[in-house]
Amino acid sequence: MAKTLFEKIWDQHVVTEIDGRTLLYIDRHLVHEVTSPQAFDGLRINKRMVRRKDLTFATMDHNVPTTNRSLPIVDQISAIQIQTLEKNCKEFGIELFDLHSPNQGIVHVIGPELGITLPGATIVCGDSHTSTHGAFGAFALGIGTSDVEHVLATQCLVLDKPMTFEIKVEGKRKNNHTITAKDIILSIIKKIGTGGGAGTVIEYRGQTISELSMDERMTVCNMSIEAGARAGLVAPDEKTFDYLRGKRYVPKNYDDLVDYWRENLKTDQGAKFDKSFTLNASDIAPQVSWGTNPAMTADVTESVPDPHEFAKGEMSQENAAKKALEYMDLKAGTPITDIKINRVFIGSCTNARLQDLIEAASIIKGRKVAPTVRAMVVPGSQQVKRKAEDLGLDKIFKEANFEWRESGCSMCLGMNPDILARGERCASTSNRNFEGRQGAGGRTHLVSPIMAAAAAIAGHFVDVREWV
Amino acid sequence: MMAGKVIKYEKDNIDTDVILPGQYLKLHDYDEIAKHAMEGMDPNFHSRVKKGDYIVAGKNFGCGSSREHAPIALSHCGIKGVLALSFARIFYRNSVDGAFLLPIEIDEQTYRKICDGDEIEVNTEKNEIKNITKNEVYKMKPFSEIASKIIAAGGLFKYKPD
Repeated sequence: MAKTLFEKIWDQHVVTEIDGRTLLYIDRHLVHEVTSPQAFDGLRINKRMVRRKDLTFATMDHNVPTTNRSLPIVDQISAIQIQTLEKNCKEFGIELFDLHSPNQGIVHVIGPELGITLPGATIVCGDSHTSTHGAFGAFALGIGTSDVEHVLATQCLVLDKPMTFEIKVEGKRKNNHTITAKDIILSIIKKIGTGGGAGTVIEYRGQTISELSMDERMTVCNMSIEAGARAGLVAPDEKTFDYLRGKRYVPKNYDDLVDYWRENLKTDQGAKFDKSFTLNASDIAPQVSWGTNPAMTADVTESVPDPHEFAKGEMSQENAAKKALEYMDLKAGTPITDIKINRVFIGSCTNARLQDLIEAASIIKGRKVAPTVRAMVVPGSQQVKRKAEDLGLDKIFKEANFEWRESGCSMCLGMNPDILARGERCASTSNRNFEGRQGAGGRTHLVSPIMAAAAAIAGHFVDVREWV
Repeated sequence: MMAGKVIKYEKDNIDTDVILPGQYLKLHDYDEIAKHAMEGMDPNFHSRVKKGDYIVAGKNFGCGSSREHAPIALSHCGIKGVLALSFARIFYRNSVDGAFLLPIEIDEQTYRKICDGDEIEVNTEKNEIKNITKNEVYKMKPFSEIASKIIAAGGLFKYKPD
């Protein structure tokens, strides 16, 4: 029978059935400092070991300072959380990329760049944006701490089989620099809604998706969770295989694996998806979120919508939009390009890879950040940071008055000192514009890196297509 | 049978960042975590919630992060269950895994009928919600076989498959 890519990966990992659910084998487990301490405590209390420490990798990213790493961590509670991970990794024999490792970085950035992420693999991490790894044709999903403990102890997870959701993106983008992967995924979420992918694994398909680079595919898959999906993936192709070839942790028989992946890791012709949605890439404009969830997004050429029109008759939507405008301190009818910002954050597992930084730097070269704006770049990993510095991007950013930081999750989730003050408004390349996400009372507008960079220069949103 | 008062939020997409803001993910003590439950949208929540209370909310409750701290925060300040039109997957799973609270799916009609402050009683054997204040009975969506077994066992690590 014809199968989808996801169904093939699923079937290959079934261990057994339990009470109507599937026990699924997990190939790779990524661990970070925030969602793991209780899981390790649980192992200790029950005198359990880590079953496959060779398949488990850890880093610290959520809570780490992005300032000078030779200095001690000021926040004592953060310092303890970081030390706890060090202690746990040592005790249980898990490889850790710590604060001083040349491979430290956001867990979803380092997995692929170290070749831990592989096509056809099942990958879990105690973080919802684990869906990022789906860009390599993996089934990658976020889990909570109890499940982290379960995978540490058993290398398996009990799951019910998700439905399949085909999202086709067809056609040519009008400009590959200004219409980015971020604009594609925000456009999708705007159309299908924050619950549109619920219960499904999305396979992104179509000409536009094939043409995306690996960095761009990661941006798309990363935000699958913002559409409520369990995971998102893209069938691997030559770009995928080239990206991973020679990476530190790929298996020794890599080329044999590639032959197998090339042959098998694709959706069969005639395979049926449970759901389907198509987007035409030629219609996509740069996106700017105006509300408090990622579906509350508009084209940069549009205005802040009227809640009544936005809701199309659905009362709960109308109320949500009203509350969102109140929180965001925006008035319906305001052109998006009239919205002034005072902070810019280029970073996060969504948009802090090398290509993101190259695109952002391309627009600021020879320009300066508006005097009313504080802007920072937080590379996704130490590897990204070094490669960017080799290209001289750090100089471009610094000359334009951007802060050039050390790698971590930073202002995406406001756990470390990089937060918005109450009332501050940020053009952010991150993934969530939830109330208070970047700091209590802070206001987040989700945009692509090039749009964030242009907003930093102008002091308000601009249609970056007019600048290139 | 478990009776408690309803705290109702007529809102969809109540996310994990408002259930427990990121800055508190550094905390390990469950009672400390609980002090900040719902702080992102309802700073008075902790002072008014009582043991055995229920939250009633709209669609996609618990969307966002995989932080298990979210159901832990609600459960440790006394919330017995969340009745919502739908749940985000990871929140639902975390709630069941640790047997922290009952994530109960309800339909639109039930959602409209239950008001803030109503006293309700949940019967998971009959899959019924009794509104004591209004003297009405509603249906809840039954838990899957495995979820009800995990909840009955007191969490994933206490559950033993047949």
